[in-house]
Amino acid sequence: MVATSTSTTTFTFRQFVIRYGVYISLALLLIVALVLTPNLYSQQTLTVLLKQSAQLGIIAIGQTLVLLVAGLDLSVGGVIFLTSVVIARVSNGADAQLPLAIGLSLALSAVIGFANGLLITKRKIPPFVATLAIFILVQGAVQAYTRGVPGGFVPEGLSIVNQSVSFISIPVVLWLGLSALFAFVLRRTAYGRRLYAVGSNPLTARLSGLNVDRFKISAYVLCSLLACAAGVLLTGYVGYVDRFIASGLDLDAIAAAVVGGTLFTGGRGSVLGTLAGVLLIQVLSTMALLLGLSIQTQFIIKGVVILAAVALYSFARSD
Amino acid sequence: MKKVVLLALVGLLLLSTSVFAQEATPEPFTEEQIAASPYLQSVLTRQETMYDTSAYAKEGPYRIALAAQGTSNSWSALFDEHARWYAEELGADVIGELLYADAQASADIQVPQVEDLLAQEPDALILVPMGAAALSAPVERAMAQGVPVILCASTVDTDNFVTEVGTNLYASGAYLAQYLVDQLGGEGSVVVMAGIPGVTTSDVMQQGAEAVFAANPGITVLDIQPGNWSTAEAKTIMETWIAQYGDEIDGVWSGGAQMSQGIVSAYLDAGAAIPPIGGGEFGNGFLRLALENDISYAAWQYPNAMVTLCMDTALAILRGEPVPRFIDFQDSIPNTQNFTDAEGETYFNPNWSDDVFGPILFPAERLETLGFVVAGS
Repeated sequence: MVATSTSTTTFTFRQFVIRYGVYISLALLLIVALVLTPNLYSQQTLTVLLKQSAQLGIIAIGQTLVLLVAGLDLSVGGVIFLTSVVIARVSNGADAQLPLAIGLSLALSAVIGFANGLLITKRKIPPFVATLAIFILVQGAVQAYTRGVPGGFVPEGLSIVNQSVSFISIPVVLWLGLSALFAFVLRRTAYGRRLYAVGSNPLTARLSGLNVDRFKISAYVLCSLLACAAGVLLTGYVGYVDRFIASGLDLDAIAAAVVGGTLFTGGRGSVLGTLAGVLLIQVLSTMALLLGLSIQTQFIIKGVVILAAVALYSFARSD
Repeated sequence: MKKVVLLALVGLLLLSTSVFAQEATPEPFTEEQIAASPYLQSVLTRQETMYDTSAYAKEGPYRIALAAQGTSNSWSALFDEHARWYAEELGADVIGELLYADAQASADIQVPQVEDLLAQEPDALILVPMGAAALSAPVERAMAQGVPVILCASTVDTDNFVTEVGTNLYASGAYLAQYLVDQLGGEGSVVVMAGIPGVTTSDVMQQGAEAVFAANPGITVLDIQPGNWSTAEAKTIMETWIAQYGDEIDGVWSGGAQMSQGIVSAYLDAGAAIPPIGGGEFGNGFLRLALENDISYAAWQYPNAMVTLCMDTALAILRGEPVPRFIDFQDSIPNTQNFTDAEGETYFNPNWSDDVFGPILFPAERLETLGFVVAGS
């Protein structure tokens, strides 16, 4: 009887860690920030923090989708850079050409996502290799198109993404809106439930009559489209075609999803967990800056947090 | 009368030359600064040392190898175009062949490329090193093979090369910092946006700046962070600094104009007054922003046109002329000296796109062909 009770308690605790670990960690971090970096709670810092979280957050939603089908997308950095170049070159600084430039960027991103999906499902290439190859291919194509000079003019109208009212800016609204949309899709629609099924056990999903490949491809297309949306925001944010525009964001987005409880093996994770993971990483980065920590220390802290999260989830799932 | 006018013109020319010379000459360094900086020791010593190149003397036309940074950004694209143009200008009877390798800004790619270039037995090697440590062994192999090495725009860890063309980066960083100290009257708080940690150009400039700030006890350095020569990263960091320190920031030191663009953008978004910036360059995008927003700044330069001086140096070596072991482009190429916002308008070119880094020595048509001219200008 005692043994059963202990077992139940342990099971509950583990479930609790898996479900709420990231939210509790975020809450604890915010409490620590109250003491160490009270500046974090100034309106200006929070506005900046949320705006920067939005860029990372939108990419991380896409990574969550591909992680749910046991995938990974290393090509998002290429998609963001491509978006930036297309906007600057196609619009050539003219606001009137912006819809065309964004439309073309979305179309190209969808093609890239589709190519990722095809390579992984039809050619059985591991996601790491396929998406890395596509990343290199996209970078090469952009370099060929720009002849190694990623210049051009970003339309003035795109700087609207930098405007904010109190904490709210267009990137934040878009991020929260997309998070709510994909949380709903994953939890409340047949498509979402099937995506989980495909990720947790593709064989069973196939035997149940699901077109596994189609679901996987759709996740990669959505991931690319979300990276494109982030690329549009980043281009407006920087106002300049910067070769390093996506520097670090691609891997941070994977880290945010993993910290948020999404498994590399597929079938487990949530957009809300990823949202909390993004906030956790961004709050940590901002706190490190506010404390004036060196970049080396910042990297170490980020690495330790990711490792701790993975270790905790691994421990919680060990049974 | 004509003689008077001529004399007056010569006088003016000499005066302007002496002004340039004053601007180009680095501030004298203290013994402590020299003792603390191996870079400074090396540059100051090499500036005074001549290299006997008689062993390399030979008849032209020459085959010169150029291991460049390659396709990565507008700076390197214009660097390459300057090299192509200058080889054409000199003519095939001077440079018979310009062997070229594109490192794509990667040391890993450049190391085997240098080996491939050496296998073609060039008369001289002009190298833009993508890594001080990684390129040391290839440089030593080239010298052992009898190919004189001219380092262009950066350096390597070994001392076994003929000469280096560049500028005193420690002095550049110190100049930008001294500008801020002067602007603030020796009292105030600054933030430092460094380049990429571990990259020689970035680290040495930062050391120069820190030495100046340390020598001025009235200056408080609020924070130092790397913006990684990225507009986006610099903007992100600057936004947080503005939120944290607000009006406390009296000046911003920046190790590159791309980052300075991000810094200005962060201030514009925040609607805050932009403090003096020690970190402009002859980059058209930064100059445009600075003019539009009436920014006070000091600018250093790292011109892509320096490759022409590297090529001239290679030719001098192959003619057997002795060369200094460190050659500062500020002494040879016009309009490559430090400047401030007072002269900004003379450097800005409204016909150029934002990503042009001047001065541009080749004809405007070549710039247009490359897509660096504003449409309709």
